[in-house]
Amino acid sequence: MTPLQTALYVLLAPLASAALITLFLCRRGAAASAVSVAAAALVAYGALALAFGGDRFTASWEWLRFGSFAIAIGFNYDDLAALMLSIVGVVGLCVHVFSLGYMRDDAAKARYFGGLSIFMFSMIGIVLADNLFMMFIFWELVGFSSYFLINHWRERTSASDAAKKAFIVNRVGDFGFLLGIILCYWANGTVSLAALGADHASSHAVYSRLIPLLLFCGAVGKSAQLPLQVWLPDAMEGPTPVSALIHAATMVAAGIYMLCRINVLMVPEAQTVIAWVGTLTALYAALCAVTQRDIKKVLAYSTLSQLGYMVAAFGLGSVGAAMFHLTTHAFFKALLFLGAGSVIVGCHHEQDIFMMGGLRRRMPVTFWTFTIAVAAIVGLPGLAGFFSKDAILVLAFENNRAVFAALAFTAILTAFYMLRLWKIVFLGASRADSARDAHEGGISLTAPLVLLAVLSAVGGYWRAYPRAFGGVFSQIPEALGATHAIVLATSLVVLLVGAGTALAFYSTDGSDSLERKSPAVFGFLVALRTSFDAAYDYYVARIQQRAAMILNFVDIVGLAGVVVRGLAGVAENIGFGVRALHTGRLSNYVYWFLGGVVVLWAYAAGVL
Amino acid sequence: MTPSLDSYVMLSAALFAIGFLGVLVRRNTLVIYMCLELMLVAATLALVAFSRFNGTEDGDVFVFFILTVAAAEVAVGLAIIVALFRARQTVQVESLDSLRH
Repeated sequence: MTPLQTALYVLLAPLASAALITLFLCRRGAAASAVSVAAAALVAYGALALAFGGDRFTASWEWLRFGSFAIAIGFNYDDLAALMLSIVGVVGLCVHVFSLGYMRDDAAKARYFGGLSIFMFSMIGIVLADNLFMMFIFWELVGFSSYFLINHWRERTSASDAAKKAFIVNRVGDFGFLLGIILCYWANGTVSLAALGADHASSHAVYSRLIPLLLFCGAVGKSAQLPLQVWLPDAMEGPTPVSALIHAATMVAAGIYMLCRINVLMVPEAQTVIAWVGTLTALYAALCAVTQRDIKKVLAYSTLSQLGYMVAAFGLGSVGAAMFHLTTHAFFKALLFLGAGSVIVGCHHEQDIFMMGGLRRRMPVTFWTFTIAVAAIVGLPGLAGFFSKDAILVLAFENNRAVFAALAFTAILTAFYMLRLWKIVFLGASRADSARDAHEGGISLTAPLVLLAVLSAVGGYWRAYPRAFGGVFSQIPEALGATHAIVLATSLVVLLVGAGTALAFYSTDGSDSLERKSPAVFGFLVALRTSFDAAYDYYVARIQQRAAMILNFVDIVGLAGVVVRGLAGVAENIGFGVRALHTGRLSNYVYWFLGGVVVLWAYAAGVL
Repeated sequence: MTPSLDSYVMLSAALFAIGFLGVLVRRNTLVIYMCLELMLVAATLALVAFSRFNGTEDGDVFVFFILTVAAAEVAVGLAIIVALFRARQTVQVESLDSLRH
């Protein structure tokens, strides 16, 4: 089998699975889950075989042609795609297996697994796309799958609201993305990634700044950067494995991947904007995470914050650092979410961390794997997050000290809120009955945790990776001498400060210490978190809704009433008058007859 | 003394008016039908009178045809009314409005 065929199978296997489930297995949850997991296993195997097989290729077919304008679909399989495809494959398989346990008793299991498969198909399409149009098509497809899976428990109003919010907010970003693609086509005459890389220099200066920023809009929506970050915390209404796969490891990282793909279009001015957006998102989300009570929402804000890191790393000019952090983050954040899922199952779907506690002894596998993930995300030396975060800090230190300071402060907060979560959930005494009789789930719940824990532990040693991903990892910035010492010292200090403060500050007595001891700070953070939603609510309810009402009035009275209803009104009035003649009474018809005769005589006599 | 043409025409007009008013105001199909026949007879009477006073046979020929056709028409019309009564148990025109909607 040629690598191209393998790639095609990897792309089409989940689609076939989704089609099979939708058409034939809607009511057979067990069969549907088996098909979906088999497809995911095939994807994981194919992705790794492709990556380690060493072949790198491009292929393209014309799909649609409108006159001189053609849309191609094709594969651009380079080291970057190999890395991303491997992440999607491995994390996807873990999540599929975890879902077997997590969704075991769900009534709509077939729909859920069909959704996972269609998501895998869409995501692989983004990864393999060789031009921006194809990427956009699959970009919209992941948006749809995300909507579909957030909405899985559709009987809950909150879930359907969250799904709609995610979809609409993403549309805002995607609109910019589409404009960027069109502008790119207009300015460069092509949207093929390879061709753009070859002859980008010719385009005009204004376009060269506008195009990357418009394309970045797509990443802002999908990767939930400021100011479109509002959908991601709400998206936690979906099942937890979905949060792990889509809203932590892969789909939200697609924004970063897309930026790395269009790296050739970047100009310094755009990169400065991107770096600051990422930095502010990282800082803002970390501040928001501190006050959360819901275990998944803490992780959601943490994801936002880490995505901010990646965007900042890209903005500072390093594809390597961004993708490196994306890789390690995919491992440890998927692990954190799956761990949270395991906790939620164990505690009978309790998500409030203050109703947990003492799970260390009751759920040992979850506890230890979660601990590894927490250690990885806060940057404990030796684990994955330490290396990737340090690479970003080195980059920031060398290029922009203000960004460096903000990211270092964010790292303190990261350590602070993660250790807060860890301590409250796992240590101390159980504070509710649901936590008191919590127990570890089955093998399908724990096996993915262990696999991801291993990857979170060793994922940072990028030199140990096979040479397969060299094209990406060779771009990771490395610190030498004084820089190295300063950054290393900084990251250790922030880790100790953040973690130590959290461990000392928070108690396991079932209340939020910050809320109790410093209501002002707590209130400020809550207000900060809700400010965006409040502003959007205000905008939508007060401004947009009123504008829409005015336009609606113009439409109904002006267009529909006068223009369209004008013609229809004439016809209707004639019809109304004629209908009045049709009484069904014989004597009335005789009168009409008489009238007709009179008119006829009058006409014949020349009166009329 | 023979009646003048005017008396015949006036009688004919009176018969026609009675028949026409009957069609307008009566509610029973049978009566309406009789009124229609009355109008036909009025026209026939006028034709006979004109024929007589003009000394030609044209009107008389018309009348023969009219009487023939009227006989056939009465047979068909009465048959329809009988069939209608069998179907609907009424020949009142107010209740015969199923074509209305």
